[in-house]
Amino acid sequence: MIVVNTEKIPGHQVVEVKGLVQGNTVRAKNFGRDIAAGFKNMVGGELKGYTELLSESRDQAMERMLAEASRLGANAVVNVRFSTSAVTAGAAELYVYGTAVVVQPSER
Amino acid sequence: MTGLLILWLLAPLLLLAAGLFIGTLVERRHLSDLQRREAQLDSIFVTDVGDFFAGDPAGGATLIVSEVVIASDYFKTFAAGLRGLIGGEIRSYVSMTTRAHREALLRLKEQAQRDGYDALCNVRLDSADVGGNVHNKKGGLVMVALLASATAYRRRRR
Repeated sequence: MIVVNTEKIPGHQVVEVKGLVQGNTVRAKNFGRDIAAGFKNMVGGELKGYTELLSESRDQAMERMLAEASRLGANAVVNVRFSTSAVTAGAAELYVYGTAVVVQPSER
Repeated sequence: MTGLLILWLLAPLLLLAAGLFIGTLVERRHLSDLQRREAQLDSIFVTDVGDFFAGDPAGGATLIVSEVVIASDYFKTFAAGLRGLIGGEIRSYVSMTTRAHREALLRLKEQAQRDGYDALCNVRLDSADVGGNVHNKKGGLVMVALLASATAYRRRRR
């Protein structure tokens, strides 16, 4: 599966558009991460636990989007966009969407 | 009893000192680290346009994503609080957000290079909200959370 956030893929042409596909997840931070983050907030630096939380959320949301794309028979997803929203304090939603398409190598 | 009182009065000062000294050290280290890594990745061509400039049709393309969450320190937060009284640019936060942006972009480039690509296009940098903390409420953490994405591709050899 080819995934890009551009409208086109170099060396390929879109032969069929399957439509919008999306995936989302809402994940909570755990308590231990909160304590570490509280400490980091005094001295500065990267909040690795939160970076990981974002990565995990992104992986899970992408997985769901790609599953939907393959269910539709697509072999690529183009124009992928991410968006996050705060559901409550302590939990964040990560939403990813794109357009599922069928591409083939362009003749030249 | 008086000991406790003194501690209670001194605690914010100690936190301020810790924030000022350790925070400044952490920031300096990060800046020199950024500079070193940016110099190594200078050859990667980056645009935020959705077009593959000089793209190799046989080279393929893939989505690259990176995340970064950087915390403020006690001193920066305190300085921002003072700035909030009179208004104006909060410099202590500008240096923090700038570092976060540079780090996010660097991680995109590093990932692209690891995967064997030499160019990035359609770069997008968005602020992410981790648990409602970005829009800081009283007592919340002060931090910058970024989610960056781009499409990596290969350029034609000349």
